[in-house]
Amino acid sequence: MSYPSEGNLQRAIAFVAALGIGVATYIAIAESGGGSPVCLAGSTGCKTVAESSYSHVAGVNIAVFGIVGYALLLACAFFASDLARFGGFLVALGGFGYSVFLTYIEIFKIEAICQWCVASAVLMTILFLLCATRLIAYGGSEQLQEAR
Amino acid sequence: MSGKSAREQRQAERLQAESAASTGERRTKLMQLAAGAAFLAIAVVLILIVVNGTSSDGGDTNLEKTADVNAKLAGIPQNGMVLGNPKAPVELVEFADLQCPYCKAFTEDMLPGIIENQVKNGEVKVAFHNFTIIGEQSLPAGAAALAAGAQGRGWNFVEIFYANQGVEDSGYADDEFLEAVAKGAGVGNIAKWNGERSKFEAEVEATTAEAQKLGFEGTPSLAVKGPNTDGLEPIQVPESVGELEDALDAAR
Repeated sequence: MSYPSEGNLQRAIAFVAALGIGVATYIAIAESGGGSPVCLAGSTGCKTVAESSYSHVAGVNIAVFGIVGYALLLACAFFASDLARFGGFLVALGGFGYSVFLTYIEIFKIEAICQWCVASAVLMTILFLLCATRLIAYGGSEQLQEAR
Repeated sequence: MSGKSAREQRQAERLQAESAASTGERRTKLMQLAAGAAFLAIAVVLILIVVNGTSSDGGDTNLEKTADVNAKLAGIPQNGMVLGNPKAPVELVEFADLQCPYCKAFTEDMLPGIIENQVKNGEVKVAFHNFTIIGEQSLPAGAAALAAGAQGRGWNFVEIFYANQGVEDSGYADDEFLEAVAKGAGVGNIAKWNGERSKFEAEVEATTAEAQKLGFEGTPSLAVKGPNTDGLEPIQVPESVGELEDALDAAR
């Protein structure tokens, strides 16, 4: 099976992680003053989700954890070492798993969909697929170099 | 080729083979770790879902019909205490006291047919206005419903309250009961609900005054507003769903 070059995978991860930082930062800023992100088409889902108890963990907005996760993934994209490949995979796996849980909560518990949260979940799913591909294709070929 | 260069070549080949073996070993180890992490992640997500699933809909309380009510209202827009499309041409306003058994009967016997048809079709919206006449606990109960409404779960709160209504003014509607109802109704942020509910007491008093101004003396009392009415017009509490439908049609 042929895989994309590691450089291309790194660039794709960096691009998607940067988008993720943008989305998570918007959600965090919008909710910081007790507000909520603006949903499209007049939907009230974003407000309902933002006001739910699931929007915070230990008093910290989960969007902040999202920013940290995306930032770590962005950092991992700049190195071609096993540490970066495996670390990126672990962060993306955690983010993807948590996104699955939050999507379940939105649909079955809060019964409201926040479009920004869905966007973040989609980005995290793409990042998980990219990081898993990178680890499977290039894991073990230790070399320290900056992404070209 | 000299003996020395052949030796060097063999040494280089051995080093290359050792390096390849080491890379393979490292790769195997990484894949094992990755598979273990993936397995762990799946287990954690499943546990989180199961734990949250079993504690859902007020599962830590003895409330009844929470799942039924939440399923019935799922997908219907709620804005404050208004159930249905905000642009619906006709508005049915129910003035009620959460502790009132006749209000419970009206909501459980008459409204489901209206909600299933006219409300879901976007023709009618139904508003719950507090008209507190039963006892001291009616005011905090009404305010608690409004605070749930602020989180989009007002009608879930009202219907779950009715489904678990106790003996009129017997003191059952205490803070513990109200919180259980709020949790059962799916109010997402209980801390926020708890912090806000006393602020809504003024609104409960305002709708009670509104009901008195309309000449109502008991609960439930109904009023309708639509293109064919002169503002909010009181109507008789109907004997049947058909009678209520006729009143709503007349307002269109």
